[in-house]
Amino acid sequence: MYALRKIDKVFPGVKALSAVDLDIGRGEIIGLVGENGAGKSTLMKVIYGAYQPDSGSIEIDGQTVRFSNPRQAMHHGIGMVFQEQSLITNLTVMENIFLGYEQQFVRYGIIDWKAMAEAAKAQLAKVKLAIDPSAITSSLSFAQRQLVELAKVLTLEERVDGDLVILLDEPTSVLAREEVELLFSIVRDLRNRASFIFVSHRMEEVLEISDRIYVMKDGEVVDVVSRDVADIDAIQHKMVGREIDKEYYREQLQKAYSDQAPLLSLEDVSVSGRFSNVSFDLHAGEVLCLVGTEGSGREAILRTIFGMEHPTSGQLSVRGKPVARFSPQAAVAAGIGYTPRERKVEGIVAGMNVFENMTLSQLGNYSRAGVLNVSGERATARQWIERLAIKTPSEHKDCGGLSGGNQQKVVLAKWRSGGSDILLLDHPTRGLDIGAKEDVYDMIREMSDAGVGIILVADTLEEAIGLAHTIIVLKDGVAQQRFDGFLTQKPSLYDLLHHMI
Amino acid sequence: MSMERIKPHFPWITLIVLGTLVGIANPSFFNPAGLVSLTADVVPLFIMALGMTFAIYIGGIDLSVQQLANMVTVIATVYLAQFGIAVAVICIAAGFLIGAISGYATTRLYVPSFVSTLAMGFVALSVAKYLSGQRALYMDAELRNASFGWMFDNTAGVPHELIIAAVLLLLAWFLQTRTSFGRSLKAVGAGELAAVASGLNVNRIKILAFAISGGFAGIAGLIFSVKLSGGDANLANGFLLLAIVAVLVGGTPLTGGVGGVLNTAIGTLIVMVIRAAMVYLEVAATQQQMIFGIILIIAIGLTIDRTKLRIVK
Amino acid sequence: MNNWLTRDNLIRWAPLLVLLALICLFALIEPRFFSVRNAARIAIASTPALMVAIGVTFIIIMGSIDLSMEGTVSVCAVIFAFAFIALGGTLASFAWLALPLALLVGAAVGLLNGLIHVRFKIPSFMCSLAIGFVGTGFALLLTGGDRVRVEDELFRSLLTIRFLNFPIMVYVALACLVLAWFIQSHTKLGRNFYAIGGGEELATSSGLNVGRVRALAFMLAGMFYAIGALLAVGRIGIAETATGNNFMFVSITAVVVGGTALWGGIGGVWNTLVGVLIVNVINNGMVVIGLPNFVQDAVLGILVITAVVLSTNRKTVAFVK
Repeated sequence: MYALRKIDKVFPGVKALSAVDLDIGRGEIIGLVGENGAGKSTLMKVIYGAYQPDSGSIEIDGQTVRFSNPRQAMHHGIGMVFQEQSLITNLTVMENIFLGYEQQFVRYGIIDWKAMAEAAKAQLAKVKLAIDPSAITSSLSFAQRQLVELAKVLTLEERVDGDLVILLDEPTSVLAREEVELLFSIVRDLRNRASFIFVSHRMEEVLEISDRIYVMKDGEVVDVVSRDVADIDAIQHKMVGREIDKEYYREQLQKAYSDQAPLLSLEDVSVSGRFSNVSFDLHAGEVLCLVGTEGSGREAILRTIFGMEHPTSGQLSVRGKPVARFSPQAAVAAGIGYTPRERKVEGIVAGMNVFENMTLSQLGNYSRAGVLNVSGERATARQWIERLAIKTPSEHKDCGGLSGGNQQKVVLAKWRSGGSDILLLDHPTRGLDIGAKEDVYDMIREMSDAGVGIILVADTLEEAIGLAHTIIVLKDGVAQQRFDGFLTQKPSLYDLLHHMI
Repeated sequence: MSMERIKPHFPWITLIVLGTLVGIANPSFFNPAGLVSLTADVVPLFIMALGMTFAIYIGGIDLSVQQLANMVTVIATVYLAQFGIAVAVICIAAGFLIGAISGYATTRLYVPSFVSTLAMGFVALSVAKYLSGQRALYMDAELRNASFGWMFDNTAGVPHELIIAAVLLLLAWFLQTRTSFGRSLKAVGAGELAAVASGLNVNRIKILAFAISGGFAGIAGLIFSVKLSGGDANLANGFLLLAIVAVLVGGTPLTGGVGGVLNTAIGTLIVMVIRAAMVYLEVAATQQQMIFGIILIIAIGLTIDRTKLRIVK
Repeated sequence: MNNWLTRDNLIRWAPLLVLLALICLFALIEPRFFSVRNAARIAIASTPALMVAIGVTFIIIMGSIDLSMEGTVSVCAVIFAFAFIALGGTLASFAWLALPLALLVGAAVGLLNGLIHVRFKIPSFMCSLAIGFVGTGFALLLTGGDRVRVEDELFRSLLTIRFLNFPIMVYVALACLVLAWFIQSHTKLGRNFYAIGGGEELATSSGLNVGRVRALAFMLAGMFYAIGALLAVGRIGIAETATGNNFMFVSITAVVVGGTALWGGIGGVWNTLVGVLIVNVINNGMVVIGLPNFVQDAVLGILVITAVVLSTNRKTVAFVK
C-alpha cells in the first residue's frame, strides 16, 4: 500500500540515493540494513518528509503524494520514532504524547488534564505500558521512553484515515535484551494497526522481526530478501561486496613501521559510559584504525587521547611518559594533533584566513613576548600551501571559503607544520569528493613515511582496510578483535563486520 | 557587489554620509575647533567602548562597564589626596579585577556573561556606595590640577585627552592585530570549538578579555571623574547604552569574531555625529535615549551573524 | 535509604530552605524582625517586584531572557498616571479605564519586543535590553523628567486599607500569582513555555509554532510588568521615569534564586514567589539588623551568580558566552 518508485536524491558531489524502489504491504515489517553511508538515513528522511526526492514518486494506495515537511507526512499516516530520544524530558508523559496537538483537550482556554490523561492512557495501552501519564518523562527508563515515543506516533491512528507506516530508527540501541523482546512483541501485536520499517545495525534483530529485508549499498537497494531465505552471512556480503582497489588507497606506498619504542600507549583506559579497558600501542609510521559502529567508542578514544575527555581509569603514556594532565593544551604540547570530524566547526575557524588557521595551534612558535611574527607565519603558510597543493588564491583567503578538501589540508598543515607526530584523524575524508580523498590518502602515506603515528577513524570499512597497518574492532566500547600484519595479509570487510555487529 | 562584500564598509560609509549631512545642514559643524572639542567630549565613552569591544569580540557582553566607571569615579576622588597620580593604577586595577571575576564566572562557572557582568556591576555599585557614603564627592581643585591637570592641556591645538584616546586605541589595535593574544581572541570569537581543538587556553583568553574590558572601563571612569572633578555612584549612568551602540554601529556584531577596535573608533564617531545632529535639530535631551535605543536594535539586526545562531534564545 | 536526597529534590527545595534559614537567622539576631508589622513591610515591598518577576519567569522558563522590564514598567506607570488624571483622577470616574489601558500598553511593548526578537532573530537578552532603553527613553520623553502624582484616595487604598494587617495590594498580588500559576499549569500556552525550554528543536519538530509562542510569552510578560507598574504607583503614589529602576536586577535575581534555571524548562511562579521573598527578606533583614543598605547590592550580585552556578549541570553545557 505504500511504495517508493525510482527515488533519486543528489547532494552536492554525492548521489545519496539512486533509483530506490521500496514496497510495504499492510501490516508488514520491513528491515532496512546497510553500512554507514549506504543511504539508509537519507532514505528514511525521504520517507518521513524531511527530504524531498529529486526524482521518482511516493505512492500511497496507488496515489502519488508529495510531502514538503514531516508534518505533512504525518497527516498521511507516516510517523517516525527517532533514534535519539525525542521526548522533552521536563514534560509529563501525556504532554509529550500530545505535544503540538493539545488543542483537542482545551475547553474555554483551559487544558482538561483529566481528558488528556484518559487519552494518554489509551495510547499507552496500545504499547502495553502501565505508567502514570502525568509522570515526568525524565523519571522513565530508556525502554519506557522508547515505548512512549511509539505511543506518541500511534496517536496518528486517531488523526489519520487510512494506514500507518512507522519508521523505527535503531530503536534497540539503548535497550537490554529483555526490553528488546518486549518491544518486538509489541511491534508484532501492532501489525493490525500499522506497517513498520525497522532500521538497525544489529543483524540478528533485523532477521528476527522483519518479514522482508532491504539491503542497501552506495545509495542503492542491492537486494531484497524474505525472512525464510535470509542468511546473515549472505546479507553481510551484499552490504559490503566490492573489490578493493589497491591503487586508490595507495597501498603500494604502504611500508612497515618500526615496532621500537611506541609513541603512544594506552593501558586499560576507560571512560565511564563511553569505552572500557582499551589498550594498544601506536608506533612511528603506523596507521592504526579504530573500527566500529556509531557510538562504539571510536571517537571517544580519540577525544580522550587529545585531552577532551578524562579517563576514569587506566594509563595513557606519550613517548613512555605517563600523561598526568588531560587538556587539549597539554596534548598539543606533547605533539598530538587532532583532525575532528566536524571540520567546519572544530577543524577550521571560518572567518580566519589560511595562515591564521595554520598557526593557531602553535602561536608560541611565531611570537616573541606575545608579539606575532606575521611574516614568518605567512612564509610557513606559503610553503605548506605549495607542499600540499592547497588551492587558494593566497594565504590571506578566508578558510571558510575554501572547498572541503582544501580546508582539510589546512587542518593537516596546521599539525604538520607545528611538528606534531601523533595525529588523530576522525573521518578525515567525510564529505570530500574523490580527488580530495585521494589527496588525503597521499598525505597519510607521506606522514607515515615521515614517522608520524596516525590513529584513524575511517569513513568506510574499505578505507580502514586500505589505509591501516593495524585495525582494532570495537563494539559497545569494548575492543573485540585486533588485526595485524597488513603488509602480507589484509582482513576482508566481512571479517571486520562480523566483529562489529 | 553582494551585500556580504559591502557590509564591512558600512560603518565608515555611514559615518561619512551622516557627517556630510550634518555639515550641509549646519556648516559650523565642520569648524575644526568645534570638531576637536566634540571629539574630546566623547573620549571617556570611546575608552569604555574600546574595552567593551574585547568582550563583544569573543561573543560575550559586558553590562558592568557603567557601574565600574561609577565605582572608579568614587575611588579616584576618595584616594586622590592620598596617592596623587598613582590613583590611576588603583582605578585601572580595580576595573581589571572585577572584569576578571566576571570572566571567571563566565568561563569556569558557566554563568552567561550578561548575568555575571550584571551581577558584578552591582558588586561595584556596592563598593561605590560604600566608599562615597552615598554622597556626591568633589575633588580638591589643586590636587586635581597637580596630578591630572595635564590631561586637559593642548599640544599644538590637540587636546591631550585625544592623545590619550589615540594611544589607547593604538595599544588596543596592537593587542588585537599583532599579538598572539589578539589572534586567540579572534579564534575564540569566530569559532570557539575550533580554538579549543587547536589547544588554545580558551578559558584564560576569555577571562582576560573581560578583565581588559573592566580595565578600560576603569580608565574611562578616571578620565570622567577628573573631567567633572568629582565622583558619585551614579555619575556615569547613561554610558552603557552608548558604549554598546558605539561597538555595534562600528560593525562588531554581538556574535563576535569580526570587527574590532578600529570599528569601535568609527562607531564612537558615528555616535558623536548623531549627538551633534540631535543638538542641531533641537531634539530634547529626554528623547536621546529612546533614539539610541532604536539605533541599537537596528545595529544589532544589521550586524548579527545568524548562521552562528542555531537557535535564537 | 537516602534516595530522597537527589540533586533534583535538592534544587527543588533548596530555595525554600534558604528562605526559612534567612528568616530564622534575622529573627535570632533581631527579634523585631519577626513581627506581623515587619512581615507586612516585606510583603508591601515584594508585591511590585513579584509581578515583574512572574512576568520574566515565563520568559526564563523558555530559556530566553527579558531585560526590558525597567523601561516597560516606567512607560506603563507614566501612561497610566497621565490617563488616570486626564480621565478624571479618581477610580470612581472613568479614570478606571486607565487600568486596562496600562495592561494594554504593557502587552503592546512586550509584543513588540517579542516580535523583534523572533522576526529579526536577535537574541532576546540584547533585543529586550534595547527595548528597555527605548522604554525608559519614551517615559522620559512623556514626563520630561517630572514626577506625576496620583493622589486618588480610592486608588491609594491599595496601600492604605488593610485587611488582617496586610494592605489590599498584597491580596491583589496573590490573586495575580494564582492567575499566573493557572496560566503556567492549565493552559496550552503555559505548557508550551516548558516544552520550548525543555527542547526547542524537539518542540518544533512536534509541530509547535515556536515563534508564535515566544512572541505571546513576551506579551504576557509585558502585562505582568504593567500590573507591577500599577502596584508600584499605588505604593508610592508617584509615576516617573525612575519608577522602573532596579526592577531588572531584582526580578532576575529573584527568579534565578527561586530555582528557575536560566537554561529553561524547570521552575515556575511558586519558585519566583520564594525568590522574591528571599531577596526582600535579605533587603529588609539587613536594614533591621543595622547593616548599611549598600551591602545589599553586593550580596544580591553574589547571590545571583551562586544561584546560576548551583542550577547549572556543567556536564551538559559545552560553553557559554
